[in-house]
Amino acid sequence: MLNFVLLIFIYSGIYALMAMGQNVITGYVGLLSLCQAGFFAIGSYATAILSVTYGWNFWLTIPIAGVLAALSGVLIGLPTLRLKGDYLAIATLGFGEIVRNILNNWDSLTRGPMGIQRIPMATVFGLKISPYEKWGFLVMVWIFVLVGYLFFRHLARSRMGRALEAIREDEIAASSMGINTTKYKVWAFALGAFAAGVAGSLQAVFTLSVSPGTFTFMVSIMVLCMVVLGGMGNFLAVILGAFLIQFISYFPQLVGLSNIIPPQFKQVLFGLILVVMMIWRPQGILGRAPRMTLNPKKKQPKDSDGGEK
Amino acid sequence: MGSAAEFFQHLMNGLTLGGIYALIALGYTMVYGILKFINFAHGDILMVGSYIGLFVYNAIRGQILGFWTIIAFFLSMLVGMVFSAVLGIAIERIAYKPLRKATRLAPLLSAIGVSFILSNLAAWMWGTKSKKLEYPFNNAPLHIGGVAITPHQILILVVVIVMMVALKLFIDRSRMGKAMRATSLDQDTAKLMGVKVDRIIALTFAIGSALAATAGFLIALEIKVYPSMGTMTGLKAFVAAVVGGIGNISGAMVGGILLGLIETFGVALIGIPYGLRDTIAFAVLIIILLVKPEGLLGKAEKEKV
Amino acid sequence: MKKMLSFALLILLVGVLFISCGGKKEEGTATPAGTTATTTSTAAPAKIENIKLGFIGPMTGDYANYGQLISKGAQLAIDEKNATGGIAGKAQIQLIIEDSEGNPEKGLAGIEKLSSSDKVVALVGPVFTGVTFAVGQRCQDEGLLMVTPSGTHADITNIGDYVFRTVPSDGLQGEVAGNYFYEVLGVRKLGALYIKNDYSQGLYEGTKASFEARGGQVTIAETGQIGDKDFKTQLTKIKAAAPDAIYIPNYTAEMAQILEQASQLGVNIPFFSSDGFSNPEIYDLAGAYTDGVVYVGPTKVEESEKAKAFVDKYTATYGFAPDSFATNAYDAAYILFDALEKVYKETGKFDRKAIRDAFAATKDFPGVNGLINFAENGDLVAYQGLYKVEGTTPVYLGAYTVVDGKLVEVK
Repeated sequence: MLNFVLLIFIYSGIYALMAMGQNVITGYVGLLSLCQAGFFAIGSYATAILSVTYGWNFWLTIPIAGVLAALSGVLIGLPTLRLKGDYLAIATLGFGEIVRNILNNWDSLTRGPMGIQRIPMATVFGLKISPYEKWGFLVMVWIFVLVGYLFFRHLARSRMGRALEAIREDEIAASSMGINTTKYKVWAFALGAFAAGVAGSLQAVFTLSVSPGTFTFMVSIMVLCMVVLGGMGNFLAVILGAFLIQFISYFPQLVGLSNIIPPQFKQVLFGLILVVMMIWRPQGILGRAPRMTLNPKKKQPKDSDGGEK
Repeated sequence: MGSAAEFFQHLMNGLTLGGIYALIALGYTMVYGILKFINFAHGDILMVGSYIGLFVYNAIRGQILGFWTIIAFFLSMLVGMVFSAVLGIAIERIAYKPLRKATRLAPLLSAIGVSFILSNLAAWMWGTKSKKLEYPFNNAPLHIGGVAITPHQILILVVVIVMMVALKLFIDRSRMGKAMRATSLDQDTAKLMGVKVDRIIALTFAIGSALAATAGFLIALEIKVYPSMGTMTGLKAFVAAVVGGIGNISGAMVGGILLGLIETFGVALIGIPYGLRDTIAFAVLIIILLVKPEGLLGKAEKEKV
Repeated sequence: MKKMLSFALLILLVGVLFISCGGKKEEGTATPAGTTATTTSTAAPAKIENIKLGFIGPMTGDYANYGQLISKGAQLAIDEKNATGGIAGKAQIQLIIEDSEGNPEKGLAGIEKLSSSDKVVALVGPVFTGVTFAVGQRCQDEGLLMVTPSGTHADITNIGDYVFRTVPSDGLQGEVAGNYFYEVLGVRKLGALYIKNDYSQGLYEGTKASFEARGGQVTIAETGQIGDKDFKTQLTKIKAAAPDAIYIPNYTAEMAQILEQASQLGVNIPFFSSDGFSNPEIYDLAGAYTDGVVYVGPTKVEESEKAKAFVDKYTATYGFAPDSFATNAYDAAYILFDALEKVYKETGKFDRKAIRDAFAATKDFPGVNGLINFAENGDLVAYQGLYKVEGTTPVYLGAYTVVDGKLVEVK
């Protein structure tokens, strides 16, 4: 039982990292991106390939994983920044699918559908951080979450954070105030992707094997749900959201309910929660009242979004 | 690339694939045109409609013979369409309508939730095994100058063209169509002009869902009926809708056919490994969005300050 | 108020759906009747503590059908055993099914739950290679016996001594296939159309290696993606390349599409396939198009009383026929029962290490798939059967194995 609970906390930590990244892109800049799964995959495979094929130490692969993900974030961010709202969503979704498609087909590098196995465990001073001894791994993951949180909080309070929020509220006004919107948007993508890449790295040394089946479009959706459920624009809320979503999705197993109900019901329950949540509290649990419109093209609703709420 | 026969074979394959994309894309494009959100549950509505059609067809097929099987087939398709239309309206009422004034994200996530519910309930109720839908006619291919064309392919193309023309006429000529266009342009003004916006939105969902069921039933002849049948095809169809210019009926047609041809010829002509077929589709999407963000036939909107 | 109303409507709709499918339950094919059956059967008064077996497989998502088919194999064995009194006539067995969704992340959560909450004595599964590797390493570390009925990747059993399988590895099947195609069927130019999943690609690679080692040549190899239904582009290309035969080592849903579309395109080249073809579903889906297909499958056991009884009972219980993977799961469960009984009789408890040792010591177990033995590394010692479909009936051609790179027919 304990091991299973710890596992939920480990997954929550890994996803919290990704969700914080998503929060920079969606919660701060207001860009609806759907490709955290792609960045997650790039990070995972970077660690897997570097440590298995080239024998690198896990700690050296982390920055590479993050940077590679961030670079691809720039790669997708630069051209798609002209797109608005759902167009951006579908383009980034496409990018996520492209990443998985390439991983599944670039056999010489990734072994395609066969995946990469026997990833060496992470070590600290010669001490293995085994995913089987859950406590050590749990501490490692949450140290990453803490560092991520401090970094992003600092960022949010800096000049950059304010610039990002300004872009979300009104891009044209922001740019007329002298904010270089393109630069900040690209930065947001890069940082968001970096966090997902690091999360991927952790995932690789947790499962000790990677295969393309992990990195489906569903991962991106889950991460987005975490951000929305927790409350957009608030990093603590997003961490809470990550935990809640993981908790909900493993809840039937946790209480032994999965032994008696059909497996589909877990998914149905998840769907129901999404719908009900959106109807009842679309701003999330800890979220502020909605102030953002993801599509500036849309006319401001009558009660004027930006105002008194 | 080999002979001319091979070329025309690929052309025929690409056209049918594209026709299907186009038919599904219509539903996406109509809903998007009016409500400005991606109905992620569209592919699942397609699946449910196909199941219903299949059950009806299997129930009545045994009793009849000959030419009547084709009538029975279209009758079953009609039942599936009606069921999907009702389902579409119900979903809109329950899961989307309360969210019309919410942020853009809310209906998107709500739609994803609906998609989860539908596909998993279907898997639970009807099983995960593929169910075969029998051809109502002999599907032996006709060989025309070395190119094999099946009656099924012809059926798809005919139905697609009929549906498209009918829909185009409906939207351009009828009063309801006019109301639909008005709603799509500006809901508030349309309301002031006496358009019953709620009813028009329900109608849009009904038509879009019925078209999805049609597409599902037609492809089910070949790909069988199973709970996740609508997912990837639906996603590609959405890409087609965006490529053509979302919200634009002719655009959905053009986008669908184009995507089908690009996927087929990208592999066959240029020799891109087949594994990267989906990559081609999405890469084309990104490129088109960059060059012409409003899609091939979409109208560019000026950004208002 | 409107919100309340729509919420109430939503609950109502879902409620109605649930109730309406409740009524359909007895005719539904995939209702997990098994799970409810076990819970009721375990409710019967038991003399010693019940024991639990785990199963991990894709129960939802694109490949849910395989999870369903295979888990039912294990379930049937357990129900039969429980009806005779359970392990050593005392302990009832319960099968706990965890959904992997085909994703290693979920598979790991499943094994963690099975191992730490349910305290299972052994695991049947997982179903697919990616999950099998992640879960296998965990089982090895935990010292929990794992038997996969369908993980064919050659490397799986190298994870360690707690990992076994009741399915032949890619390596063996590929070797038999490549050699048989070259030697017996006289094929020199082989075409292939496989799906980019672990199962298909593993078999393709195994077969290509042995076929080319004999001097044959794979002249064209096309692939499809998971979930693809349209293979006309690839088939048109293969038709143009005109190989002697086309190898399609895939799952039934894809093979049915390929065979049908090949006939539409007028591809008159013989098709060869793999044990995926042993799933009788193929005859429902592809009908007459299956005529003439040669495939490698489990050795012929249909004549044996045991096999026939299994297929009949399975079909009668669940409403659909088992495939070879479900059969493997059934055998795996029975071998496990023997090991459990042996350990229980000797020690009076169920020690994981002892169970593993007893399982490994299995010798000539009379399973549905014939006599079952395990190699040192946990691989199944097996021969491969060859079949040719005539009409829609598979005709047995004989059993083969490969010894030192030579094809040997087993009498």
